[in-house]
Amino acid sequence: MDMMDKLKILADAAKYDVACTSSGSNRAAKRGELGHNVACGICHSFTADGRCISLLKILLTNQCIYDCQYCGNRRSTDIPRAEFTPDEVAELTIRFYQRNYIEGLFLSSAIVKNPDHTMELLINALKIVREKYRFNGYIHVKTIPGADDALVRQAALLADRLSVNIELPSHESLKVLAPDKTKQNIIAPMKIIREGIAQAKNELALYRHAKNEPSFAPAGQSTQLIVGATPESDSKIVSLAEGLYGKFKLKRVFYSAYIPAGGKNLPTADPPLLREHRLYQADWLLRFYNYTASELFSNPDENLSLEMDPKCHWAVNNLHQFPVEINKADYLTLLRVPGIGQVSAQRIVAARRVGKIDFDGLKKMRVVLRRAKFFITCDGKTFDKLPLYPETIAPRLRDNSQIAGYQQLSLSWQ
Amino acid sequence: MAVNVTFDGSLEGFFCVVYAVYYEKITPSSIQEEGMDQLSFDAATRFIETDAKKATRVFNAIREKISEDAADNVHRAFHANHDGRFSALLNYIRLGFSVGHMVDSHLHENFVRLVHKLAKNVWREAHLLHGFCRFEETKQGAYYCKVTPKNDVLPMLAAHFVQRLMNQAWVIHDKVRNKAAIYDGNSCVISSVPANGVTVSLAEGEIETQELWVTFFNTLAIDERKNIKLQKQLLPLYFRGNMTEFVPIRPAPKR
Repeated sequence: MDMMDKLKILADAAKYDVACTSSGSNRAAKRGELGHNVACGICHSFTADGRCISLLKILLTNQCIYDCQYCGNRRSTDIPRAEFTPDEVAELTIRFYQRNYIEGLFLSSAIVKNPDHTMELLINALKIVREKYRFNGYIHVKTIPGADDALVRQAALLADRLSVNIELPSHESLKVLAPDKTKQNIIAPMKIIREGIAQAKNELALYRHAKNEPSFAPAGQSTQLIVGATPESDSKIVSLAEGLYGKFKLKRVFYSAYIPAGGKNLPTADPPLLREHRLYQADWLLRFYNYTASELFSNPDENLSLEMDPKCHWAVNNLHQFPVEINKADYLTLLRVPGIGQVSAQRIVAARRVGKIDFDGLKKMRVVLRRAKFFITCDGKTFDKLPLYPETIAPRLRDNSQIAGYQQLSLSWQ
Repeated sequence: MAVNVTFDGSLEGFFCVVYAVYYEKITPSSIQEEGMDQLSFDAATRFIETDAKKATRVFNAIREKISEDAADNVHRAFHANHDGRFSALLNYIRLGFSVGHMVDSHLHENFVRLVHKLAKNVWREAHLLHGFCRFEETKQGAYYCKVTPKNDVLPMLAAHFVQRLMNQAWVIHDKVRNKAAIYDGNSCVISSVPANGVTVSLAEGEIETQELWVTFFNTLAIDERKNIKLQKQLLPLYFRGNMTEFVPIRPAPKR
C-alpha cells in the first residue's frame, strides 16, 4: 500500500474527531529544531464543512479490537484497514510543516491488541518525531482509556495537549454502545494528567531548574462528547462539561453532532448541527462569561432553546436584572447583556473613562445593538420605548427575527 | 506653517515626520509617500529626510510616554492599505503625547477609531497569512512562497517565519508590491524584486508532497456537514489563489 492510500484511509478514520486546536502552548524556536508555538493557535486551512485544519490529524492505525457502535472504525465494519509506521508519521509531519500546511501533529489510534500496547505505539511515534526529527511544533495525542499511568505520563512529556474522549455522556450509554470502555478507565487518565500539570506548575514555582525540564502537557487536556446518539439532555451535558472544567481543569470540551455510522441501537437521523451549535454557545458562557450550568437550566431534563441563543434565553427569563446602565454597570454585568461580548464590554469600559457614552457612541464603537438595545440604558435613556416583557422581546431575539421583523413591519404599514 | 509633507514611505521616515512636527513646528496639511503625492497649488511641499536616530527617539517616546499597545497600533496601522492612515496616525500620536496611555479610551475621536480599525485589519490579515502561506521546495533547496496581501504585511510574515522555519532558507514574495523577504538560514532581508523577475523550478518530490496534502485536505471534509458559506467566511476567496489545496497542481517538471 503506498503513502497516498494510507493517508486517505487513516485521515478519513480520524476526521470525526472534532478537536483541531493548536492554542494554549507558547514555545520559542530553538536553533537546530523545527518550528515554534504561538499561544493563540493558527488555522492553516478550512475544509468544505467549514472546520479548521490546524494539525495533521491521523490515526496510527484503524485496526481496532473494540466494537463501539457509534464509531466507524469498530471491528465489525467492513472498511479498508491500514497502518503507518512511526517513521512515516514523522516524515509526513515534517514535510507538511516545512511547507506551512500545518501547525503540528494530532495523533490518535484504534486499539491494537490492548490499551498499553497501543499507547506504547503512540509514544514511540512521538519520540521519533521529537527526538530523531527534532520537531518543536505542536503535538496533540490521544490517551487510550485503560492504558497504564506511567505511559500516560510519558506521553504528556512529549505532547503539548492530551485528550481522552468521553464520547458518551453517561455510564448507561457507554454500557449500551461502547461495551469495551468504562467510565473509570476514561476518567483515570484525566486525573493523572490533571495531577501531572498541577505538580509541574508547583515545581516551576519552587525550583528554577524546572524550566529546563520537558514540560508536562503545556496546552492541557481536552475531551469530546457525542451529541444526539443517546438520550441525555443538554442540561446533563452542560453540567458534565462544567464539572470537567472545574474538577479536571480541562482546557476544552468539544461537542460532536452524531453522524450515523450504521451501528446497532443508534438513530439514523441527520446530525443535530443546531443543537451542537447551542451547546458550544452554552460552553462559551461557562468559560468566558461567568455563567453556571444551573443558571442556564431550570431542570435536569431541559434542552437548550433552538430558537434563541442561551444568553438571550437566560436574559428573557431574568428580565428583573435589566435594563443595565452602560455608563455605570461593572464589566461582568455588561457581559451578561445579550449582544455584548468581551470585545464590546472592554471597549465600553475603556471609553467611559473619558466621557459619557450614548447610543450613537455605542454604534460608532461598533457595539452591535440588534439584541443589546432592549437590555441597556445610556445615561438613563432607553433605545426605544419597548417595554421589558418576555412576550414583547422574545420574538425579536430569535435567530431569524430580522425576517420576522420585516414581515411585521410590512403588515402594519398596509 | 502649513505644508504638504512627503517622506520616503518607511516607518522610520514617518517617525521623522512626527519629529519635525514637534521640533520644527510644522503643521502638515497632508502627509504622503514621495512619488505618490498629488500636486497641489495651495501650499509648499516639503520632503522630510529619514534619520534613524530621530526615528528611534520618536518610537521610544511612543512606547514610554504613551504605551506599548499604542506602539503596536502605530506599527500595524502604518502598514495598512488606506490613504488616510498617515494623518490619522499623526493625530493619534499627538493625542497620545498629551493624554498618555488613555489615548485608546478616546473612542469618540474618529482618528482613534480609524487607527484601531486599521491596526486590527492589518493584524488579522497577517495572522491569517501565518496559516495560509504555502511554501514550495525549489531545486536550489530554498522554499518559495507567493503572497498577494491587501496590506503590507510582509514584515510581520517575515518575523513569524524567521522563528518557525529557522533552519531552512526561504523566500516570501509579495507579488503586489514587488518585494520579497529573503532568509538564508541566518538573517532575513526585505528587498524589492523586479515584476515577473522570479521563476521557480520545483524540487524533485515536491509535486508528490503537494498531492499528499491535497488528498489529506479533501479527505477531511465531512459530507454530512457541508457548509460552503462558512468555509468562505473563514477562508476568503482572495487568499485561495496562492494556496496549494485550491489551485490545480502544476504538471511535474520535465527531467
